[in-house]
Amino acid sequence: MADEPVDVLIVGAGASGAALAWSLAETRMNIVCLEQGGWMNPADYPGMSGDWEARQLGDFGLSPNTRGRREDYPVNDSNSPIAASMFNAVGGSTIMYAAHFPRFHPSDFRVRTLDGVADDWPLDYRRLAPFYDVNARMMGVSGLAGDPAYPPKEVPLPPVALGKLGETLARGFNRLGWHWWPSDSAITTQEYEGRAPCINAGTCLVGCAQGAKASTDITYWPAALRQGVTLETHCRVREITVGDNGMADGVVYYDAEGVERKRRAHVVVLACNGIGTPRLLLNSTSRHFPDGLANRSGLVGKNLMFHPYAMVTGIFDEPLEGYKGPTGCCIMSQEFYETDAARDFLRGYSFEILRGFGPVSTALWGMSMGRVASGAEHHRSYAELFDRTAGMVVICEDLPDAGNSVTLDPHLTDADGIPAPRITYRLSDNSSRMLAHSVARATEVLQAAGAKDSVSVAPLPFAGWHLMGTARMGMDPDTSVVNEWGRCHDVRNLFIVDGSIFVTAAAVNPTNTIQALALHIADTIKRNLANLFD
Amino acid sequence: MSDDSGFTDEQRHAINRVLDEIIPPSQDGRLPGAGQLGVADYVDRALRSMPALRAMFVESVSALDTIAGRRHARRFAELATHEQAAVINEHASSADAFPPILVLHAYGGYYQHARVLEALGLGSQPPHPTGYEMQPNDLSLLDPVRQRAPMYRT
Repeated sequence: MADEPVDVLIVGAGASGAALAWSLAETRMNIVCLEQGGWMNPADYPGMSGDWEARQLGDFGLSPNTRGRREDYPVNDSNSPIAASMFNAVGGSTIMYAAHFPRFHPSDFRVRTLDGVADDWPLDYRRLAPFYDVNARMMGVSGLAGDPAYPPKEVPLPPVALGKLGETLARGFNRLGWHWWPSDSAITTQEYEGRAPCINAGTCLVGCAQGAKASTDITYWPAALRQGVTLETHCRVREITVGDNGMADGVVYYDAEGVERKRRAHVVVLACNGIGTPRLLLNSTSRHFPDGLANRSGLVGKNLMFHPYAMVTGIFDEPLEGYKGPTGCCIMSQEFYETDAARDFLRGYSFEILRGFGPVSTALWGMSMGRVASGAEHHRSYAELFDRTAGMVVICEDLPDAGNSVTLDPHLTDADGIPAPRITYRLSDNSSRMLAHSVARATEVLQAAGAKDSVSVAPLPFAGWHLMGTARMGMDPDTSVVNEWGRCHDVRNLFIVDGSIFVTAAAVNPTNTIQALALHIADTIKRNLANLFD
Repeated sequence: MSDDSGFTDEQRHAINRVLDEIIPPSQDGRLPGAGQLGVADYVDRALRSMPALRAMFVESVSALDTIAGRRHARRFAELATHEQAAVINEHASSADAFPPILVLHAYGGYYQHARVLEALGLGSQPPHPTGYEMQPNDLSLLDPVRQRAPMYRT
């Protein structure tokens, strides 16, 4: 019956919603997921055509504000030095992410105890470790065991190709005696669970037509659907509704034709990312929750964390074959990851070695940096750059700051008229000092690797890929939104499983931890089904 | 006269001529000019959903004729190559210059053209479905890192 409440209603079919749906499917509950985007067709990904690089400036661009897709919603990021990036489809932002897949470290969950900043998480690395292992198997993670920067961990597939570029940089790290290691990547390097291996096409950021990159539309979702989960696309949720008892009783959404509909549910799970989730909660006002659902602490939308990024590009004399290989990260260094009292900042950062620029990106980057000329000097100046650049990014830990927030924009709306999110974000002094330190060290390692020159940008303005902290986890309802297993303190049948619940950000890409948390939360739900709302 | 169907032949010719000044043929003859490759067609497609910007391009093309008429009493298309170059040069610093996005499209159209990609050694096919071969990893480079004690705190 269409108006019968479903057992579990998940909002969002991205990284976390997919993992949770798959895990809960074994319960045989009636599980429905509503996703505002649709299914992607890998045959239509830009990598299948010659204009793939230029499409990174168009319909496969980073910003939802410029892509022109109805499935996206606008984000007012004019009051932030870092622009937010996300993608709306089955698979969510995993469609366009780099699939760089590191775990958090044990220390990342204990920053208050170890370093006296922010807060400890209400769970630790050991609690999440088994779910990282499950996630590695489900997503198909490549890497190499033995990294001294981590406790021993499971990696199902051998590492991605380092290539000439990666090995050149590795020698630079070795000359300085600094740590480096092949990256964990959610990219298949061999045939794996019906997925073909990576062919080094270098098009990860515009969707992987090969199916080697683990977006959840090709990993968790097929398995969840086989087990009976229902996924309804082009359904954009406007608000979560609340019954007289103050519990969530369903959602109001717009279907593909823009028709307003209601879906009732016993349990609602939000998996909408660190901007979409607070947006939805703040849009869900009622007699019980006049300031937004589950917001009695006042912390919904507060403590927005990005990872401040720096990009340092080395220019070499020799060709590096940098247009080949998985884009996001071939090797990673965590030499400066843990807090060191001798430095002028707390916490730390990772270096991630990317690839070089492709032919179009070389021209455009070179032009923007004043290194590629038009006219008679064009070919000479272009030849000095093409296949001679090595991209390196620094990913800094961001610390929570209540002044950094997601609120509702009073004017901007999406295509269905739902108020859009507005971001207010300021780079902290700690982050600024960390960025400065990291750029100096990155320059050092590029020189050690043989670069004749380097160019840095910090913070990287378009790098708002990681959206965290806006419905933080904790044991105290006064200082957190959800408990240690993602259940809202104020609404006991409402769960949050995306990056919103992060207490701190660590200094690595968050998707693996988002999914491990979603699996942990699903596991706890399954173990507490009999008394879920107690 | 231009409409939604795109540039006229004369407009296309003029823009290709300007594109050849932005990316001329390489001196060794290995790489063609952007206009020789017909990158104006790419610009045309890129402007399809931007009528206001297209109108600015059309006005800029007209201004080439205006300058050509003043300097040589002929239309731009009727000038010799070196005369066109001088007109383009004057036009570039005038109020009627092409919008700066022309250079962006010139680079975008040129560096994804099969002939250019082949000349750069990338082959003429898109990255998928063939991809690229890469050398096997030399993991002996990790030997010094493997010697390190655990770095993580618990």
